Order: sequence, then structure tokens, then C-alpha cells
Amino acid sequence: MIHLKNIEKVYRTATVETVALNNINLSVEKGEFVSIMGPSGCGKSTLLNIIGLLDEPSKGKVEIGGKHTNGLPDSQLAHFRNQTLGFIFQSFHLINDLPVLDNVELPLLYRKVSSSERRRLASEALEKVGLSNRMKHYPNQLSGGQKQRVAIARAIVGQPQIILADEPTGNLDSNMGNEIMDILTTLNQRDKATIIMVTHDENMAKRTHRLIRLFDGSQVS
Amino acid sequence: MLKHLFKLIWKRKKMNSLMMFEIFFSFLILFAVWTLGIYNYRNYAQPSGLETDNVWVAFFNFNAPNDTIKAEYQELVRQQLTRYRTVHSFAFTSSNAPFTFSSMNNNVEYNKKTTMSEIMRVEPDFPKVMNMQISEGRWFNETDKAGNYRPIVITRHLKEELFGNESAIGKTLGNGEGAGANDPKMKVVGVVDYFKHKDDFQKLSSCIFQPSERWDDTMVMKVQAGSGAELEAQISKEVARLGKDWSIEIQQMNNMKSNRNNLVLVPVLILLIVCSFLVFNVALGLFGVLFQTISRRKQEIGVRRAMGATQGAILWHFIGETAVIATFGLILGVFFAVQFPLLNVFDVEAGVYLLGILMAVISVYVLVSICAFYPSRQASVMQPAIVLHEE
Repeated sequence: MIHLKNIEKVYRTATVETVALNNINLSVEKGEFVSIMGPSGCGKSTLLNIIGLLDEPSKGKVEIGGKHTNGLPDSQLAHFRNQTLGFIFQSFHLINDLPVLDNVELPLLYRKVSSSERRRLASEALEKVGLSNRMKHYPNQLSGGQKQRVAIARAIVGQPQIILADEPTGNLDSNMGNEIMDILTTLNQRDKATIIMVTHDENMAKRTHRLIRLFDGSQVS
Repeated sequence: MLKHLFKLIWKRKKMNSLMMFEIFFSFLILFAVWTLGIYNYRNYAQPSGLETDNVWVAFFNFNAPNDTIKAEYQELVRQQLTRYRTVHSFAFTSSNAPFTFSSMNNNVEYNKKTTMSEIMRVEPDFPKVMNMQISEGRWFNETDKAGNYRPIVITRHLKEELFGNESAIGKTLGNGEGAGANDPKMKVVGVVDYFKHKDDFQKLSSCIFQPSERWDDTMVMKVQAGSGAELEAQISKEVARLGKDWSIEIQQMNNMKSNRNNLVLVPVLILLIVCSFLVFNVALGLFGVLFQTISRRKQEIGVRRAMGATQGAILWHFIGETAVIATFGLILGVFFAVQFPLLNVFDVEAGVYLLGILMAVISVYVLVSICAFYPSRQASVMQPAIVLHEE
């Protein structure tokens, strides 16, 4: 499903060169639930951004769903993200000026989907995360756990094959974190979604199929 | 997508209202400038009906004790001017000759319809000097003096006001309120299509030409092309010598017209400069507000990019949002602007106001698009991986 080969990411300024990722080789099969762990600054988010096509590697090849993504134009990358990938962020990144339902509809705005169909799909996604009673609420009227569930609904509304979660429980207490993990596990088991999750939490990582550890930009296990 | 934009704008209505009012005021300013510009241009585009090249205007002061002597002095001047081969034609007129700062008007009446008209007394050679064309009837001549009616030539605008589509020739006009009991009635003998006597920007005017009287001491003369100060000095000197204490001042009609035109153009130019300054400030304001808005919404931009928005989609999202806000400002502005044609303010044709509104609307959209483009472009090229991790 996902194949990374000899991935290197170097950030350059006029005087400093920082290696964020060094020779990463990674394969994730369809339906796998993989967690990535490592200390702060080890390159976890950079790796997730590269897999999510939000950033380009300095070297190496990225293949997702059998398609090489290096050098694709912006429009194709955007289309790929929209159709294949779903994102969940640590700080939720909901649009506070839009009601929950509209937030969830966001990925569908960039597809040719009718307004009524968008409503239907978004409502279904919210039902899956147990928030069908909060559709008309605004994000600032929700708790942290509820916000993350909205973010999950937004990630799954377009039925992507891959979900990328960047510390989805990082801003939540352990109870809410567990609730979120339950939802992700269900999505993986019931809907066969491939999930890659960055986390700092060993307990959360233990609930996934496989753990990848990074240290100073390199894969250590 | 439009519904999505409306929701975002409505939720941020307090913040957007500032931008909306800026656009509203810009629209009103642009509406004023465009309307004034269109009004003046439409008038300017109409034929003037007369030629001012190589036409001079002479202002005499005969110091005559009475009109009989003044008439004799007029004759002396006529005889003197016929001696100059470079003076092709001339005619005495009332003091409100074209492009002078003098005006003489009165009410005229036909079938209980009364209207105000400029009245210009001129000698029969006046149309020859000014190269005016009669479109109906004829110009009055010496034989008309024998009649009971005062022969007049009128402009088409006056003709349409008083007679509509009927022919004006042979119709008699009353002198309106305030006229003396002995004032003869006026009979129309001819119609001219156009006659701009104030400036090139004058709208179609009502004007009556009637035969000159013996007390008229302003003269228009057509001189040979290329005649200049030498001829002017010669005429001034030789005519002034004809009588005691006479004085004469000669001006070129083109210069007089230019002075009158400036009276219209200078205020328009000042308005244009002031408006440009105001619009520039509004544009800077819009630019600043948009930059600030986009800077505050970096994470939203990152999320949209992650969800599948292309760079183009982000660009058009922000331009679209600004255009929707502009539309609200414009709706308010157009509401006020349409009152002008509805209430017939300043007696300007509704078409001028409507074109002014249209041009102002287009100008605002162009202005807003230009102001929105650069900040929106900046938003579209933001790296999602970076902005999503900014605090």
C-alpha cells in the first residue's frame, strides 16, 4: 500500500543543513495499523507529512497505492490527498467559524459531490464517531475529545484508504485518548482502513499492529 | 461552494463589515466620478454646431450717449471691417455671444407650455461667421424686419420641448411671464440642431436667435487662418480711432472656449485626484485586511490543502470570499445609487446614472480582485506541512 525507499529529508538554510530524515525504508500493507514513535524532533511528523504528500522528500521514492508520487504536479497531489488520504491532527485543526457538519463536509467540497450527498455522507461519518447529536454545534462548543472525533469524521468522510494521524491523542486525557483509539481501531478492523499514527504514548502504540521507532531521523526498529 | 463562503462570511460578519463599508464608500466615490465623467463625455461627444477656429470676439465700448448714435457707430465699424481682406465675415451680437461669461435668458411660451431659453441677438451673418448649419427652415434676413412678428431661429432641443415632433416652422411663441405688453410675438423661421455656447461639455440647450438690435456692442468675426496679433492690433487701433473715447478688446474664441472648458474640467480633475487618493487608501486598507485575515487563517489553509484543495482552489477561495463581501457592499451602494435616477436628481438622464452604476460596480470588482489577488496568491503557495505546525 505504502512504500518508501531511501527517503531523505534535509532542511537547508544559508548556513545550516539539518537532516530530518535519513535513509528511511518503509512499507505498510493494506489494512495495517502502524504507529511511529520517537523523541521530539526525530522526524516523525516529517515522515508523516511525506507519506501524506504534504511535503516532498529531498531524496528517495514514495509509492502509494501503486503510484509513484515524486514530482507529481500540485493538482494531482491534491487530488490524491483528497481521494486516498485522511488526516487527523494533534490540535484538531477544525475551522471554528463553521458548524461541525460543515467541518466534516470539507474534503467533499473538493470533489464533485452534490450538496445533499455531502450532507448525507457527513452525517453518516458523524454517526460513526457518535456525534450525530452535535452536527449544528460549533467546534468551540465541544470538548477536546469531541473535537478529535469531529476531526476523525472529517478524515473518514471521503472513505480514504489511508488515515494518517499525527498524535491524535496528544492533547487529550487518557480516557478521551482511549476513546479515540477505540474509534481508530474500529475503523481499522471494521472498515479495513490502513492507519499510520504518530504517537508519544507507548500504551497507544501497543494497540497497533506494528511499531516503527525513529531516532535522529533514522529508523531504529 | 458559494454557500460555504456565505457561511464563513456570515460568521465573521463583524470583521467583514469593515471591509464591506470600505467597499460601499469606494463604490459611492467611483459612482460619482463615473457618472460625472459619463455625463460630461456624452455632452462632449455631441456636435457643437459651431466652429470657433479663426473666430474672434470684439467687445466695443462706444461711449455713445444714446442708441441712435450707437447704431451709427456700429455702421462705422462695419464699414471699417469690410476694408480688411483678412476679415471674411462679421456680425454684431448681444453681450452673451458664445463662450462669454454673460447669459441672457427668458421664459418662452407655446400652448401654455413654458420653458426657459437662452436668447441671443445676432446679425444675419452670424451663422456664416460661426459656420452654423440650418436643419429646418432658414435664417432670418433683412426682409423679416417688415413683418409683425420677430423672426427667430431656435435649437432642436427647444423645438422638441415646445412642439415635440411637430414642425416648428411658422409657429409663434409668446414671451412668457414678465414680458412687456408691446413685446412682439416671435415666429420660428428656422431650426439648428446643435448650439453649444457655454463650453464643449454643455448639454443640449434651448436657445433662441433673434435679430440684433442697435445697442448691441459685441461682435464675432471670422478672420483668415493664421491671422494673429498683428491684425488684432491693427483692428483695435484703427477702430478705436473712429470715435472719441472708444475702446475695443479682441479675444480669440478658441481661448474663450478653452477658459470655459477649464471651468468644467478643473473641478472634475480635482474630484478625480481626490477620489484616486481615497480609492488608493481603500485599496491599501483592503490589502492590509486581507493579508491579516490570511495570516490568521494559515492553519485553515493548511487543513484545506491537506483535504485536497489545490493551489488554485485556495486562490479562488479567498478571491471569491472577497468578491462576496464586495457584493454585499455593492448591494448597499447600488441601493443608494439607484435613488438618483428614480428621483431624477440633478435632471440627468437615467441612462447616465445607470451606466455610472455599472462602471462603478465593474471598477469595484476590478479593484477588489487586484487587492485580493496577491494575498490570495500568497495563501495558495503556503506549504501545508509548515502552516499546520505553526502555533
